[in-house]
Amino acid sequence: MRPLTVRRLLWTCGGLTVALLASVVLALKLGAVPISVTDLVVNLGRAAIGRTSQIPTEYRLIIFDLRLPRILLGILVGAALSVSGASFQALLRNPLADPFVLGVSSGAALGSILAMIIAPQLAFVMPLGAFLGAIATIAAVYFLGRREGELDSTTLLLGGIISASFLSAIIMFLMTTLAGRDLRGMVFWLMGDLSTPVPVSLRWILTVGVIAGIGAIYTTAADLNLLLTGEREAIHLGVDATRVKLVVYISASLLTALAVSASGAIGYVGLLVPHAVRLLFGSDYRLLIPASALGGAIAIVLADTLARTVVAPTELPVGAMTAMAGAPVFIYLLRRGMR
Amino acid sequence: MRFKSMPGRPNETISEFRKRRILIPAVYAGIALALLYFCCAPVSAQASTAQAAPAKVPATRAFTDELGRRVNVPLEANRIVSLAPNLTEIVYALGEADHLAGDTDFCDYPPEAAQKPHVGGPVNPNLEEIAKLAPDLILATSINRRETVDALDRLGFPVYTIDPHSVDEMIQSVQRLGSVLGAGKSAAPLVASLRARLADLDRRLSHAAPRRVLFVVWTDPLISIGRNTFIADALRHAGAQSVVDTAVEWPHISMEEIVHLQPQALIFATAHAEDTRRDIDALRTQPGWRDLNALRHGNVILVSDAINRPAPRMLDAIEQLARALHPEAFAARAAAPAGPKPVLEEACACAR
Repeated sequence: MRPLTVRRLLWTCGGLTVALLASVVLALKLGAVPISVTDLVVNLGRAAIGRTSQIPTEYRLIIFDLRLPRILLGILVGAALSVSGASFQALLRNPLADPFVLGVSSGAALGSILAMIIAPQLAFVMPLGAFLGAIATIAAVYFLGRREGELDSTTLLLGGIISASFLSAIIMFLMTTLAGRDLRGMVFWLMGDLSTPVPVSLRWILTVGVIAGIGAIYTTAADLNLLLTGEREAIHLGVDATRVKLVVYISASLLTALAVSASGAIGYVGLLVPHAVRLLFGSDYRLLIPASALGGAIAIVLADTLARTVVAPTELPVGAMTAMAGAPVFIYLLRRGMR
Repeated sequence: MRFKSMPGRPNETISEFRKRRILIPAVYAGIALALLYFCCAPVSAQASTAQAAPAKVPATRAFTDELGRRVNVPLEANRIVSLAPNLTEIVYALGEADHLAGDTDFCDYPPEAAQKPHVGGPVNPNLEEIAKLAPDLILATSINRRETVDALDRLGFPVYTIDPHSVDEMIQSVQRLGSVLGAGKSAAPLVASLRARLADLDRRLSHAAPRRVLFVVWTDPLISIGRNTFIADALRHAGAQSVVDTAVEWPHISMEEIVHLQPQALIFATAHAEDTRRDIDALRTQPGWRDLNALRHGNVILVSDAINRPAPRMLDAIEQLARALHPEAFAARAAAPAGPKPVLEEACACAR
């Protein structure tokens, strides 16, 4: 693989941004109500020059109030999940790490369910609960995975899987015992679902949090490259390992928590996208972080478009689509990489 | 599996490489741009809804729905979207079918309701389909998610929600929907007849001892009803008492518990009696089920699935059930009040 240069970084990210824009246009066009590209361009143009009053009500509702917020949410969630997956893979030096596999998603889900039970009226309580749940889970898994001061890969993954099933069991317990209509919709949410628009206040927390989290992780990308070769080696080379790990653990947990509180536990994105990016563009974290963010956004936007259209007007949970579409792509990339 | 490539430029020492951070200022610029965009986005969205609202709505009346939400309903609601089968049935019963613009995939009664444009299922309706129908009033109930109601509300649609937990509350909901839809004239006789039929049932069964029954919602796993559901209330009006007593609405019950409780009769709600009868025959050989005296002695009642829907037709199902459970209370009089006779025979045939 060629070494990373600023030029290659810009070209790769530029290319991925174009691909993301293309998938956004596709997602805006397709849906239960088909919209022609001409209508789409005309109405987007009207919005861009501020003539919103000329947009027919039907298009205003469907394009601007339903599809666009959902696509933006998908972009944020996809970017958050794949960047946190890539970060966990570097920190734990384990290619199979992923917020879903490590139980962090389940921890965030339990945290937000508990938050919703305690204070259902407050919008910001859900992401806060999710964040606390995610942090607690990753800390528990990290200590479960330590053996004689070193991270043991097998123990770590087992710790993650066991935490995930333990937390899922508690979620099931809460959902069966707490009768009430507010938890019934949780079934959709737990499978990963973008169909319910997020309240405006939460949209704000989500946007700022995701951008800040990805930014914070990107500033440590060079250190992550060295940490990947081994913690001791990195420390010998002058990396402040404690600081880097703290920043990345907190940011990655924050990203997972925000994604889960907005859209539930969408699996596989954090595992598949960073690996696909590695196979395509190499494993330098300074490229991997932004490319994973863009790739994750593309993956979720396309998966959600499929989820909306395959059996329209009924919608599938996007989590099912990421699992169904992600696995074959992953196997293809893996086999191509081995040849 | 190992990460494949080692990072770094050729001829660069590893410590030189480590210090080189790429494009950090660019990242900060990107963050600033994104924040700026999102500052503008919510404002423009609010502005556009604010413009659209006063332009369109001519005359509205304010109602407080059964969740305590304030809803501005147009005086003449002409494009109604129903988000649940029982709401669709109520709209038809009130004679407002012509104004029903859309309903859900599960709205199958009356049969014409299945011909209306569908917006998906009640729990996860497709918001785009609803928006396409340009409704001026959306009806929701307790099986819809609160998130759906809130989302439609944010899109600027008036959503009136009913929340009946008993037969009496169902009748009240019919009355309220009558005034919300401006169909008070058809609502008044309907509500009066429903109340009269319920009072007649209560009077006939006032001396009958309630039968201990198991209402089977699902057989595998066994799911029954909790005491706060409208079905439990319907059973009480039909002279029955569920053996399951819990605050959980749709409890999973262990077969052991049911064998221990030995209900006097099993009640199945169905729209397809033949299929259900075949399923019940299959249960007779299964462990647990075969130990139930009610099943062994054929004390099984098939009741119309209308009992599952808080709508006027529910009274038919309650009357049918009451006749099957307490035939003596109805035999006293030769001229019984109007009821669904063909289904009644079916129920009796099965109870034998």
